[in-house]
Amino acid sequence: MKRSFSPYWLLLPVVSMVAVILHPVRAAAHLVTTGMGPVYDGIGHLLLTPEDLIIALALALYGGLLGTTHGRHALFLVPAAWFVGGLFGMQTAPLPDFPVAALSFLLLGLLIAADLRLPLSAFTITAVAVSLTHGFLNGIALKSGPAGLGLIGITAALFILVTLVSALVVSLRPPWSRIAVRVMGGWVAAVGVLMIGWFVRGNMA
Amino acid sequence: MRLLFFFILLFGQCTLCLESSAHESQPGTLEIRERADQRYELTWRAPIYYGGPHPARLELPELWRDTIVPEEKLLPDSQVFRRVVALDGKGVDGSIIRFPGLEKTITTVFVRLIRLDGTSTTEVVRPTLPSVRLRGERPANVAAFEYTGLGFYHILQGIDHLLFVLGLLLIVKGRMMLVKTITAFTVAHSITLGIATLGYASVPLAPLNAAIALSILFLGPEIVRSWRGQSSLTIRYPWMVAFLFGLLHGFGFASGLTTTGMPQAEIPLALLFFNVGVEFGQLAFVFTALALVPSFTILEVHWPRPVTALPGYVVGSLGAYWTIQRTVILLGVV
Repeated sequence: MKRSFSPYWLLLPVVSMVAVILHPVRAAAHLVTTGMGPVYDGIGHLLLTPEDLIIALALALYGGLLGTTHGRHALFLVPAAWFVGGLFGMQTAPLPDFPVAALSFLLLGLLIAADLRLPLSAFTITAVAVSLTHGFLNGIALKSGPAGLGLIGITAALFILVTLVSALVVSLRPPWSRIAVRVMGGWVAAVGVLMIGWFVRGNMA
Repeated sequence: MRLLFFFILLFGQCTLCLESSAHESQPGTLEIRERADQRYELTWRAPIYYGGPHPARLELPELWRDTIVPEEKLLPDSQVFRRVVALDGKGVDGSIIRFPGLEKTITTVFVRLIRLDGTSTTEVVRPTLPSVRLRGERPANVAAFEYTGLGFYHILQGIDHLLFVLGLLLIVKGRMMLVKTITAFTVAHSITLGIATLGYASVPLAPLNAAIALSILFLGPEIVRSWRGQSSLTIRYPWMVAFLFGLLHGFGFASGLTTTGMPQAEIPLALLFFNVGVEFGQLAFVFTALALVPSFTILEVHWPRPVTALPGYVVGSLGAYWTIQRTVILLGVV
């Protein structure tokens, strides 16, 4: 179906997703049960877990910021690596507490804020490493719940989310819009710093 | 439009997965039947969950005391608990019943309150909020919000409905035709949803499900024809097909509303807002699916040619699978 379109139409599903995410429901740090089956539980887990959702969005933002090729790589690599990480995670016992999400926030936030032009190979390594890690942690959490079906739900949601957000960022033309994306990266980094601070303080207490 | 193939693949995967786990998401039921003033008989049916007892327990308000020794019966597919309680002067309305353990499951529980005068109300308890406040009258905005949510969840859980909508999206060419087709589907299912909910007509569930599956199967070859550049009545007038099959799907939506056992006075409100919820869910799905197409274009994703033919085959195959499966059920072969 060929038709002309404005890239700003992409804002509609993205804004809708954000609205759904911001809808006041119980915050869920671990397992989410939607009552709609394990696949939907996986989708819900991703959309209602800020540590995962923001990382997925950050990867998509950064891929889009770096251009079409990087964005395209992100859309395939992120869900695939997340899925593989999840499969490994489901075979593993729970790990000691470590601020993985905080470090991911800080790393990706700084990369976006600085608009650092990583070559494709370096971006690929970063995206795969972060996705594998978060997928692995998801796998551990999903093991006691929706398991593999939940992981499929997460992968499907990631694919759609990364596609829409990466394409939206690639399509941005006005210079101010790129600055807005970098500002978001700054927020992500700031959240990462706060999380690291809480973790350190919690360990010292 | 064909670039939606991956979305369909995942969708098909999810569908088959949902199929495979369908028996584990059997709903539980709690029937609270008023036997005399301040005296209620409770029947709590907890489905067998992954081969064992269901993790959810029934927790009654403190003031409800048992008047007989609770009974328990084990059936092949569920455990049934029967209790008779007295309420000691406090009305049933406003009482909160909890289901600890439900949050660890994917089970929905229907709580049905049947009063002495024969009127009844049903509440839906989900794992996300494993408790229910029994209600008498309630504000219209609360009811409207609940029915909107019910409609939204119903369409998102109705993988077959969504697959039909996706099939239509793959056939439609042009923005105006898309608006016409989606509108026709909406108008049609609204008509039959209203007719069925108001009790003017009803369709037995088994043949209805088989017919809905057939509507999906019907779209499979049409998608392939469209992909090959051929023409047919469906490709030229997709809105007509959407309208005709939309009438069927409306009866399917009605089953999601009539099982709630809504009070008579709430029917118009329920009908309106359930439909609004269905529309929200449908539009969310349509916009997401449509947004993927330009996204793939922007990201310069070039799918291999054989892969672009997949949507029609996936829709058709799933339609065929469900048609056979539901026909077999209809004929009572298994």
